[in-house]
Amino acid sequence: MPCAKLGGCGLERRLRERSGCKRTRFRTRPCCSPEAIPQPVQRALLQTPSSRRLRSQTKMTARHCSHRARSIDRLAHVQASGHLEEQTPRTLLKNILLTAPESSILMPESVVKPVPAPQVVQASRQESGRGSLELQLPELEPPTTLAPGLLALGRRKQRLRLSVFQQGVDLGLPPSQEPHGNADASSLTSSLNLTFATPLQPQSVKRPGLARRPPTRRAVDVGTFLQDLRDTSLALAPPDTVLEDTQPFSQPLVGRSPSVHHSLPCPSHSGAKDVERAASRRTWSSGLGLQNNGAGKPAPFLAGKVEEVGALAMGFPNISSNISGEDVIEPLQNGVGEEAEERMEESLREVEKAAEAQGSARAEEPEGHIEVTEAEGSWGAVEAKEPEGSSGDEDTSGRTASPELASSTPEFLRARRLQFLETAPPPSTAVLPSEPPEPLSARLPPKPRIPGSRPRQDPYKTGLNHYAKLFSFYAKMPMEKKAVEMVEKCLDKYFQHLCDDLEVFAAHAGRKTVRPEDLELLMRRQGLVTDQVSLHVLVERHLPLEYRQQLIPCAFSGNTVFPAQ
Amino acid sequence: MALSTTVSQRKLIKRKAPRGFLKRVFKQRKPHLRLETNSDLLVHLNCLLLVHRLAEEARTNACENKCGVIKKEHVLAAAKVILKKSRG
Repeated sequence: MPCAKLGGCGLERRLRERSGCKRTRFRTRPCCSPEAIPQPVQRALLQTPSSRRLRSQTKMTARHCSHRARSIDRLAHVQASGHLEEQTPRTLLKNILLTAPESSILMPESVVKPVPAPQVVQASRQESGRGSLELQLPELEPPTTLAPGLLALGRRKQRLRLSVFQQGVDLGLPPSQEPHGNADASSLTSSLNLTFATPLQPQSVKRPGLARRPPTRRAVDVGTFLQDLRDTSLALAPPDTVLEDTQPFSQPLVGRSPSVHHSLPCPSHSGAKDVERAASRRTWSSGLGLQNNGAGKPAPFLAGKVEEVGALAMGFPNISSNISGEDVIEPLQNGVGEEAEERMEESLREVEKAAEAQGSARAEEPEGHIEVTEAEGSWGAVEAKEPEGSSGDEDTSGRTASPELASSTPEFLRARRLQFLETAPPPSTAVLPSEPPEPLSARLPPKPRIPGSRPRQDPYKTGLNHYAKLFSFYAKMPMEKKAVEMVEKCLDKYFQHLCDDLEVFAAHAGRKTVRPEDLELLMRRQGLVTDQVSLHVLVERHLPLEYRQQLIPCAFSGNTVFPAQ
Repeated sequence: MALSTTVSQRKLIKRKAPRGFLKRVFKQRKPHLRLETNSDLLVHLNCLLLVHRLAEEARTNACENKCGVIKKEHVLAAAKVILKKSRG
């Protein structure tokens, strides 16, 4: 008996018992290739009888010629389908077999591989699973289609098999509608889909984090206003404007005091204008803000100002359009050293009075506006509210001040800050939702450039304080204040040594950048890292998880390692 | 990011590394050098371990003197020992 030639495995016997006529055909094959027997036997242990049969058959087929395998596969599929859900997988398989292109020699393998692979779940679900997988394919991205391929195909080029498999899958799509309803299949697919969705998630999660500012605030009028700006701006150097807008608090422009005065009133009133415009939801006002190249800044600025300037929004429509360069310049020349309120008043008046709109004025104003808005925000939202009836100071200023505007706006901001720092910082800062005012107020203390100690001490001390607190925590005992200061001194000295050592190590390696290897060498020399205790151990012990992940390379799904090496 | 964790000592300990501070200090001292991103964290680790050792040593000193409070002298003596040891 051919059965006797098979191993004495009980499974085989069981197989024989359940064998149909077709089995005999396959029984002979194992004799030819005894190696084929143990594997199917092993697999049979895991699976249902139908799957066993299928597996054994498919295994055998795999060992043999491709053409023979193909026929066997078909038979296997037919047999397998017979035990599956009624008709659906069968029709599916039949369709696949009938319509699948014959050219691919790998076809049988692809058919064979996916069959044994998902068999781990259940044989009956395989076809439906595959069918539902196929359904999922159009929904999900290509990576999901890799799932069955990856699962099944271990041997050869996965791409080739996938393409082949995909063809079959796509062909089998129409008839595979029914297994879609299978709960198991859906669960299988869902589970499969889930596994392949995970690598996508971190990427998708990263994106929202990068998109900080909603770009929706951009107005349509930016283009026109920019054109106006360029057309009318005489001495306005684009780089200056860019510099101003993007970094209104940039230091290099501090030195020009006279221009600052001129620019003071102009930006103030222009800023009021901007605020009011924002209140009135004027697109061009927002465009003004945008023109300043401050991008996100003016827009949120304006939005924030809306509340305060609501009162001022009355006569703005006329004013905004009518502001001329002269008007803008006028306030500039007005009393510079006055309080912000006065300036705001002036600016507001100017805004209101500017009956004749002019493009040039507009061009210059936007820059001033933004600066003013910023200044306003930082110092006197309240002030802006009061001065409704701005005086006619606008007339006094001349055109010459306008070119100064652009360059002097940052200086103006500077001067204003310095002046108004004592007057009204808190309320304005609190009101401002936008960023520039906040960093402005935060930077104010180190701003006054007292050479030496002040800017150095504060952030340095706070950093050392952080470690001193850790010291007191680790000590678990009460400490004197002097002891804490002592600790800070020690840390200071230690930092010096540390920097020197790192410099030496980096130079020794011929580098100018200090890298983690230098740090590891340093710790080894200090005796922290030994042959018994490695750096990774120390990292795991003392650093929180987020840092651990960044320092210690770890393998993630999708065959990736993070951080990449 | 765990900004702070409540400890049994009722103290809020920040587990966040002052990366900006470390980078700035390094830049101030060695402007011609550059510090890489992850080495920043290792510097922080180094400081943590140093502070740990210092604290242990200071506590030992204080206990030897039968003091319930860590005093300046204890810290000073501890610092001498530790800094000498970690010279490399």
